[in-house]
Amino acid sequence: MRILEAIRQALRQLRAHRARSLLTMFGIVWGTASVIVLVAWGQGVRQMLERGFFKAGKNMGEVWAGTLSEDYTAAVDRRYLWYNVDDLEALRRRARLPVLVGGETDEVLPAAYRQRGLNVDVRGIEPEVMEIRGVPLATGRAITRSDLNHNRRVIVLGDDVRNRLLGADGGIGSWVRLGGKPFKVVGVLEHVGTQLNRDGFLIDEQAWIPLTTLQNNWPKWWTDEPVIEKILYRMRDRNSLDETEVEVRAILAERLGVPAGDDQAVGIHSALKVLRQIPVDEMEALLFILAATTLMIGGIGILSMMLDSVYERRAEIGVRLAIGARRRDIIGQFFLETLTVTGLGGLVGVALGVGVCLFMGGLNVPDLVPVPVLQVEVVALALGVMGFVGVAAGVIPAWQASRIDPALTLRME
Amino acid sequence: MSAPAAQSVIALEQVHKHYATGELDVHALRGVDLRINPGEFVAIMGPSGSGKTTLLEILGCLSRPSSGRYRLAGRLVEEIDPDGLARLRGEEIGFVFQSFNLLPRLTVAENVELPLVYRSVPRRERRARALASLEHVGLAHRAKHLPTEISGGERQRVAIARALVNRPRLVLADEPTGNLDTRTGDEILSLLRGVHAEGNTVIIVTHDPGIGDRADRKLMIRDGQIEDDRGSG
Repeated sequence: MRILEAIRQALRQLRAHRARSLLTMFGIVWGTASVIVLVAWGQGVRQMLERGFFKAGKNMGEVWAGTLSEDYTAAVDRRYLWYNVDDLEALRRRARLPVLVGGETDEVLPAAYRQRGLNVDVRGIEPEVMEIRGVPLATGRAITRSDLNHNRRVIVLGDDVRNRLLGADGGIGSWVRLGGKPFKVVGVLEHVGTQLNRDGFLIDEQAWIPLTTLQNNWPKWWTDEPVIEKILYRMRDRNSLDETEVEVRAILAERLGVPAGDDQAVGIHSALKVLRQIPVDEMEALLFILAATTLMIGGIGILSMMLDSVYERRAEIGVRLAIGARRRDIIGQFFLETLTVTGLGGLVGVALGVGVCLFMGGLNVPDLVPVPVLQVEVVALALGVMGFVGVAAGVIPAWQASRIDPALTLRME
Repeated sequence: MSAPAAQSVIALEQVHKHYATGELDVHALRGVDLRINPGEFVAIMGPSGSGKTTLLEILGCLSRPSSGRYRLAGRLVEEIDPDGLARLRGEEIGFVFQSFNLLPRLTVAENVELPLVYRSVPRRERRARALASLEHVGLAHRAKHLPTEISGGERQRVAIARALVNRPRLVLADEPTGNLDTRTGDEILSLLRGVHAEGNTVIIVTHDPGIGDRADRKLMIRDGQIEDDRGSG
């Protein structure tokens, strides 16, 4: 028997039992929609986390100098550890895995503009730091190498600092005082918002000035040499996380005179590492299992309906066999009937799931609230699971139907 | 028993049939020998439980003998695989049942077409042959009706049209008048006689002596054996 013929008969059968078919199909509709919405939502959580963690620097590593852990004899005069410009240059020259390296030093300073004043987290930075952090400028320009070479008193403000310090009347070209010294505002950063990865102050609450300007105006109390408190680097990609860390630590440890693997002396933090510890994969798997289970329970509904149907239609099957149907015709007929119900339910479910995803994706939700992210793969996955459920639910009834004794036709009267 | 097997449409030799129903072993046929030649009109009669339905089952290739040999149109049925049997049922045999056994969701024409569907006959040809077959039983005007919309006698005529649509060698009818009133039953019987007159082999299983009397050959079956064979040529 031809497939089209079988599908036509399947649809006729479904129409004949409209209520039963619709109720049973609801399980498949709901299950398919669940797979799409939940898996897409899992994707949304993943993207939200990555966005949150990468807001202040994608694929970024942050290195600080810590304290000596075990063997401090080799560096007995540097009990207290820090990096200097030579260390930074050595890293920049020798490290092969980081694509960008930049130094940064930190000082909390009183800032003033006209009558307003507040304490600001001031970062003396190299231009590379701005690039690594990747926060775009709202207006103005970035800190440049030339600013560093000339110790310029220029400042780039975070969004929050700009609002609170300058208010409505200040902007690019305004002069602010840092620790009593005048700085010209040359740039303002765009609003960053909630960061999942931060060191002390949020970017919005920071102000950035040239590294050398900070070093020269506010030297550290424990040494005369210009200090680099923190080195930022960008790794090639997320897969090189560990090897990059090993390389960077080895070079800086050698500079500090500590063992190559000393992570107390050379501390490295990376948002990627934290992200890696969050069980996103597991959460996604769990959501998928939950949704797929819903779909399978829908499949059990279909299985039960089809088994009923086979039992009710024993006589029909007997007649078909008596007038020349082969067992495989009967198997095909019932199998296709199951696939037709499942397929119809699945298509409606896909429409529902996609609709929910689009609706939720269009909502204006606050920062860091995950919404479903629809991808073609998600729909394909849902259809795949649905197909599996349909096949699984179709096999048993079809097999049962084909085992009906054709002689039954004569004996049922 | 000396005639060559190929000459007969049906040749049974020492056919036995056992059923295992639960703990009981039912010995439904106990050594049936039977030959039916092309173009015969045969009535198989017997009380209920005599084994006549079992015999019909075997003749119609709906089940196989437990032992013994059955040749249908010269072919040994036990050597044919299940798909081959299905093909045989579709092409060589036309069934007419007591309760008509039309599929309720299909129209009259679609019911008649069904054997052709399983033989993968193209749709257009199916339609034409089904209509011709319906014409033959005088029901072409009912083609688009559902079985529930026509009378019992009409249903049986549709069933006969279905049985004939593939031009089978053999028409097997199981109590074809059992669910009909006498007058309608007579009409159906006349129709079957007409089918026979066109050269078909017709076998009717019945317990109605009236039908038996109108057959050319009457077999009595009792306790799984043929007791009496009258009119056999």
